[in-house]
Amino acid sequence: MRHEIWLAALTDELRRHGVGPDLAAHVVAEAAGHLRDSGEPPLRAFGPPSAYAAAVADSVGGPVTVAGSAPGPVRLRAVDIFKRYGRRTVLSGVSLTVHAGQVAAVVGANGSGKSTFLGICAGLVGADGGHVELHGTVGYCPQAGGTADFLLADEHFALIGAGRGVPRAAAVREGARRAAALDWVPGNAQARHLSGGTRQKLNLVLAGLGDPDVLLLDEPYQGFDRGTYLDFWHEVWRWRDAGRAVVVVTHLLNQLDRVDIVLDLSAGSTGVAA
Amino acid sequence: MNRTMTIAEMTLRETVRRRGVLVLLLVLPLAFYLGRRGDHLGQSIRFVCLGLAWVLSAAALFVGSAARSLEPRLRLSGYLTHQLFLGRLLALWTLGLALSAPYFLLIRFDQHHVRYGAIAVIMLLGVLVAPLLGLALSALLPRDLEGMLVLMTVVGLQMILDPAGNAARLLPFWFSREIGTYAIDHTSVGYLDRGLLHGAVTALLLLVLVAVGFGVRLRRRSHVRIVGGLS
Repeated sequence: MRHEIWLAALTDELRRHGVGPDLAAHVVAEAAGHLRDSGEPPLRAFGPPSAYAAAVADSVGGPVTVAGSAPGPVRLRAVDIFKRYGRRTVLSGVSLTVHAGQVAAVVGANGSGKSTFLGICAGLVGADGGHVELHGTVGYCPQAGGTADFLLADEHFALIGAGRGVPRAAAVREGARRAAALDWVPGNAQARHLSGGTRQKLNLVLAGLGDPDVLLLDEPYQGFDRGTYLDFWHEVWRWRDAGRAVVVVTHLLNQLDRVDIVLDLSAGSTGVAA
Repeated sequence: MNRTMTIAEMTLRETVRRRGVLVLLLVLPLAFYLGRRGDHLGQSIRFVCLGLAWVLSAAALFVGSAARSLEPRLRLSGYLTHQLFLGRLLALWTLGLALSAPYFLLIRFDQHHVRYGAIAVIMLLGVLVAPLLGLALSALLPRDLEGMLVLMTVVGLQMILDPAGNAARLLPFWFSREIGTYAIDHTSVGYLDRGLLHGAVTALLLLVLVAVGFGVRLRRRSHVRIVGGLS
């Protein structure tokens, strides 16, 4: 790999790992200097850009979080949620409170009721007991579906934007900006021609369009490559820092130390988190 | 109004991109027309009107079914339920007019001694009623196949049942046979009046069915209370 390409990839990976621009520029300059002086191939000297960026991020503590700061007003309060499918109890007395500026992760094994719980929070699935309060507007990203096969990305932006009262041109601009944050440039492809991962990027962009107060994301990263997965979490942290309440259904545990609340539905379909 | 028009626009965009479907929508009524043109010109008019109603109902059924996974998200994004189904109906009514126009012209130049105005009324009522029927089926039945089977049953019965019998009056396109008789056989204006009344009542009932079906499916569940957000 040529030096310039490796350094450019390192710059991207440092950004994805939440390393600030000043520090990233310094790291890249240091690496460039070392490569120039030593004449070593970059892969031999530093390894893959993603691995080196991860090591740098770990050494400086990763992205800045606002953990410990006072939470904002309550945005989502789910109290004592019960749900049965036939004789099978899926959720039993599950509660969750998420404030503005917080990220909650809903975790659990397959079939533990994570998506059902999110659907109940969104009001898309009925509950057999309990209640949900939503304060403000809601953006929802389903695990699958949620897009129209024969529409372009820009048309999706216009469609969701119209619902939120965002003018068409502004919605398309905002969609393109959010897509760029996920390393995606929407083109002229209909949704049915997008790959699974890119379709999920579209889904995620649609969820955030119009800056809803509460974001409910149901495993939105399916099909994402590793870099986009990191981009996704950075988007989540940006939402949190902008005062949004974010609920992410996930079964990947390696980001849980960076969320504010964890609701684990594995243990007997009950859980309380606040 | 902006939201309803946006839904209509996107529905039309989606539909016109299905070129194969568009060709079939346009050709199927022609098969109905040509099938009886050789031996009974009047029947060919009745059948082409039924064919148009059938393809429009089928198109509406698939439009409604295709939108099922997207509509909950649209509701959460701020759309009201009536904006969703009215937008789709607007698009389907526009599509219906575009599909019917060439057939009206065909009849205008291919058939003589018929009441063209009444034939236009049949087509307009068909354009009004057929999308309502398809959308009602998509709202009430969970999958395409069930809806398509019901639609085939309705259209099949429409062709089999004696139009003079009471049972035929319960079918959604009975008006087309009644007004068709007025247009082709030059019967009394009573046929036209009965057809118009039947078409109007059918359209109204189906509109209520669509509104109820969409309303139930996309209702905000009672356990959710939204404070300061969208309805």
